[in-house]
Amino acid sequence: MTPEDPFEEKLLRTLRRLNHGIALMTGVMLMVCAALVLADIVLRQLGSSFGGTDEISGYVMAIATSWGMAFTLLELGHVRIDILRRRTRQMGRAVFDLFSMLMLTGTVSLISYKCWPVLERSLANSSRANTPLETPLAWVQAPWFAGWVWFALMAWLTFIAAMMLVINGRFVEADAAIGCFGEEDLAQ
Amino acid sequence: MIWAIAVGLLGLLTLSIPVGIVLFLLGFGVDAFFSPFPLIRGLGNLVWSTSNNATLIAIPFFVLLGEILVRSGIATRTYAALDRWVSWMPGGLVHANIATATMFSATSGSSVATAATVATVAMPQAEKLGYDPRLFSGAIAAGGTLGIMIPPSINLIVYGFLTQTSIPQLFLAGLIPGIALAIGFMLITATICTMRPELGGTRRTFPLAEMTRALLHLVPIILLFTVIIGTIYQGWATPTEAAAVGVAGAVLIAAIFGGVSIRMFAESILGTVKITSMIMLVVIGASFLNFTLASAGLGRELQGLLDGLGLSPTGLMLVVVVIYIVLGFFIETLSLMVVTIPIIVPLVVAQGFDPIWFGILMIVLIEMALITPPVGLNLYVVQGARKSGRMSEVMVGAVPYVIAMLIMVALLILFPSIALYLPSVLSEG
Repeated sequence: MTPEDPFEEKLLRTLRRLNHGIALMTGVMLMVCAALVLADIVLRQLGSSFGGTDEISGYVMAIATSWGMAFTLLELGHVRIDILRRRTRQMGRAVFDLFSMLMLTGTVSLISYKCWPVLERSLANSSRANTPLETPLAWVQAPWFAGWVWFALMAWLTFIAAMMLVINGRFVEADAAIGCFGEEDLAQ
Repeated sequence: MIWAIAVGLLGLLTLSIPVGIVLFLLGFGVDAFFSPFPLIRGLGNLVWSTSNNATLIAIPFFVLLGEILVRSGIATRTYAALDRWVSWMPGGLVHANIATATMFSATSGSSVATAATVATVAMPQAEKLGYDPRLFSGAIAAGGTLGIMIPPSINLIVYGFLTQTSIPQLFLAGLIPGIALAIGFMLITATICTMRPELGGTRRTFPLAEMTRALLHLVPIILLFTVIIGTIYQGWATPTEAAAVGVAGAVLIAAIFGGVSIRMFAESILGTVKITSMIMLVVIGASFLNFTLASAGLGRELQGLLDGLGLSPTGLMLVVVVIYIVLGFFIETLSLMVVTIPIIVPLVVAQGFDPIWFGILMIVLIEMALITPPVGLNLYVVQGARKSGRMSEVMVGAVPYVIAMLIMVALLILFPSIALYLPSVLSEG
């Protein structure tokens, strides 16, 4: 918390702050979507309907999912089984955490790489959804894809920061960054 | 292939790699070693089609609903109100623990959140009124598990999505077993406290006027539950729409009882995003593994395995139950459910079991996983809220409730209609 904090801690703090903001926006988007669904139900009782609420909900879900991933990562929210990990000491835990972080980072990078062709095809063919709204798919797939790329980027940065922490022997800080349980989970 | 998957699954999980990522890695493995054609090309499309889904958005809605109710202090009021109504029974406040957990599970659909909430409100009372800490905390941990059984349940939504069974039917099927389990928990508590009154603290009765006033705090929650479930069963709303109605209802209740603030909303929203992404990483991973396993011909191999084992359907079901109990010692609810669905459900359905019935049986089994050591998330949550005493006390306290769940498992296998009666009666039209 002091100005002479090493680079990696400043980095982690920035990442957390950024994703905190993104998560708030994602949540607001979900609430707006709930309101939309609600309005549609009411309108249906009155004999009319927006039509396409289902379709919009689907897009919102896809985008909210991809953009929320990095926040969950930084809040240590992705479930892990720590049955072996918890029997090891500080150094052992750090090894488990770094390894699992590396696996996550690699996998997520591959996922985002493989998501690109989906968007690319929609762009190339100017595809529209086969629905009453005829939504141009690229409009919704672009933010969805960006969310996965963001997740991969955040994972790499977190991994690098955690690695530096471990190398500098700051195990407590490393555990806070990529350990197993969020403090909130156990304190509440 | 099955054995390679099983070993790979357990190996990667024990390395403490996030569960969702483990499922992807296994999918890559199946693709590389067992599939005649490259499946990874389908990855992007699969991730898109899994998350672009209007049914799954019910998950964040239900999570948000629960978060709002909990963070606006409705849980505390409910607990106090239920205390007035159930504390005359042997075991007193322990029943309030179970009843509050039941009620919250009925609206929020999350076990851990339910356990955490009830633990926070209830624990300070326990010492003051002289309850046995073991039974008291065990009941909270066990009561919390009901969250995934009594509809609306997030776990049932995920099960329905991955196995392509009807979510409204699953909700219907879970209702009777869920309520029966809650009643079973209370009966067990009353029995224990009748035999050993020193465990149960003081029984208290309240004047009728106070009970009636307390009812006022229970009505909104009961109403909310009725609206959510009622609209789904009447066919007026899909689970997603009912969930959106539920969110609006929760905001309304919170506003009326004075718990609304910007801070509360921000916290609820953040909690929702965190839990939703956690669930979705696991769900997308499971979808991908499902897809690779099916493409690589898991069905044929399972049939071969079954023929080789020569098990009767009942024999198979017993093996499945034992597998879940053993895995449940180490793996948690959603993870346990999602990692086993791709293999176990096709196996069970191929033997002629009803997928809806099996969904409910699986839920009881994974509820048990929440309160069986060494890894039982609810045990840790309750212990975390206690701030004193030893972990083993919570574990001992949960034992009677594990027995109740085992009885429920046996009953479900002997009398499948416990789960299937409501769906068969109500879904004709």
